[in-house]
Order: sequence, then structure tokens, then C-alpha cells
Amino acid sequence: MNTLILLPVLITLALLPTQAIGLVIGEKAPSFEASSTQGMVRLSDFQGKKHVILAFYIKDFTPG
Amino acid sequence: MRAFQDDLLKFESLNAQVLGVSADDLETHKRFSAELGLQFPLISDSDRKLAGLYGQGRISFLIDKEGVIRLIQPGFPKNEEILAEIQKLEKKP
Repeated sequence: MNTLILLPVLITLALLPTQAIGLVIGEKAPSFEASSTQGMVRLSDFQGKKHVILAFYIKDFTPG
Repeated sequence: MRAFQDDLLKFESLNAQVLGVSADDLETHKRFSAELGLQFPLISDSDRKLAGLYGQGRISFLIDKEGVIRLIQPGFPKNEEILAEIQKLEKKP
């Protein structure tokens, strides 16, 4: 019984690692400002100038 | 991140900026960048604000010059696919 109740939760958790939060192609990217190894980075800095590849990864010193 | 560095000239020639993001702190990012010779910025998302806006885990987004999402790629980044999409964007008037 417990397993049955937990199943949807477990499936959801299994899917989480690569799930975008409601973002779709063609939609405006959420604006952000964050500190980086090369100073502050703002998405707006690149608008009208460059395409941006925003690559989320798990952890430094791991493959990928 | 090493794969992005390997193809960095291709991305730059197509007017694209690579930004790596993880929850590691800046000190760790700097050591990692130095070890791999990364020439693009690594964002420290230690408060997971960006992950909250964009998505959890390993996922890449291509955002065009107008700020519109053009590609969402879960899992390990596939540079060829990203580069092909940027090429299409660059050909548009």
C-alpha cells in the first residue's frame, strides 16, 4: 500500500534531474544577474549583441 | 564544460556567448576553470536562484539575441545541435 502511494512521488523525483521549470521554446528567457568567474553577468548585457548558451551542470570537477 | 571550451572558437565565430552554471562557489569555479583552461565565465548559483528560474540538474538553453529561448537541451550538452541552431539564427535577416 505504501509503495503505491509513494510511486507518483518517486517517478516525479526520478524525472526532476533534467526538468525545465515550465520554460518553452519561443518564450522570453527569464532575466538574471549573477556573479561569475569573470565578474557580474546579466542576461540583458547580451541582448541585441550575442546569443547565449546557458549550460547548467551538476558540479565542478565532474565530467560534462 | 571541457567540450564547450574545445568548441569555443566555433561559438564565438557565430556571436554566441557560453555561460556555465552550477551551485559551486566562485573559488571552486576558479580552480576548475584554471584546471581545464576555461575561457568563458562560470556562474556561481550557490543560492540556486538561476536553477529555480530555469530548471534543475543538467540542462542547456540557447537564448537568442532578442532574449528568446531557441533550444532546450536536457542532459549532456550536444554542441553540434546547438551550433546548427545558432547557424540558423545567424542566417536570419
